[in-house]
Amino acid sequence: MKLQVSLSRVYRFSAAHRLHAPQMDDEGNARLYDKCNNLNGHGHDYTLEITIRGRIDQETGMIIPLQDIDRAAHSVIDPLDHKHLDMEVGYFRTHRSTGEEIVQYLWDQLQNFLGDKLFKIKLWETNNNYFELERKS
Amino acid sequence: MKQVTISKKFEFSASHRYWKPDWSDEKNKQVFGLCTSPYGHGHNYELHVTVSGTVDPVTGMIINLSTLKEIVNKIIERFDHKFLNLDTPYFKDRVPTTENIALVLFELIDERLSKRENIKLQKIRLYERHDLYVDVWRGES
Repeated sequence: MKLQVSLSRVYRFSAAHRLHAPQMDDEGNARLYDKCNNLNGHGHDYTLEITIRGRIDQETGMIIPLQDIDRAAHSVIDPLDHKHLDMEVGYFRTHRSTGEEIVQYLWDQLQNFLGDKLFKIKLWETNNNYFELERKS
Repeated sequence: MKQVTISKKFEFSASHRYWKPDWSDEKNKQVFGLCTSPYGHGHNYELHVTVSGTVDPVTGMIINLSTLKEIVNKIIERFDHKFLNLDTPYFKDRVPTTENIALVLFELIDERLSKRENIKLQKIRLYERHDLYVDVWRGES
């Protein structure tokens, strides 16, 4: 039996957004996105859990130095923190700022820093809904 | 195929120090940062233990939670309010990182649970703090 080990670190950021699909008319958007379509936007305190899987380095006892995961996380999250996602983050000019899209954006960005060690991310939009993306081997 | 699991949460408080005696002070500080602090520092750890197995048709349980509590508490006693580097035998040759503590706990709990029929330690999650946790689970093979 081979034991698997992963390390997860939890980060927070706060951002505003508005769900609105330009392909649909205002009425359709209001019906589909409801409160999330509010004209002037609204915001959330997002919580992001980043999970790294890998071998424990026999010397340091660590899967990854915490500085490495912190550096990756902050490089990716800081540009979103206290921003309006749709207005201030380029990616969300062409993608809707739903949890599903944000989690994919974060995954791609984090992968630039963490590569294949990135195993799973979990994004909490509120205390009651979260989105997960996990590497399947 | 479906699988039912039961999980229980435990807490213990302990201190530790990240330190490799064969490294220079500078290297220890560079790699481990604040965690090399000479007299150690501590955390309130939170341990989630997840057990899988067959649900007994009579009792409706995989394992009696009281039994699980007794088994895990016996193990945690060795860690609770201890300086892990010196007061436990597990970290003489390895740094008491969250990864290593979780591995040791998995092995100790697994050793006790594997003596029982029809149950298996599935996974543990060890929180060092609310923003850092390690999972240990069985691989596919």
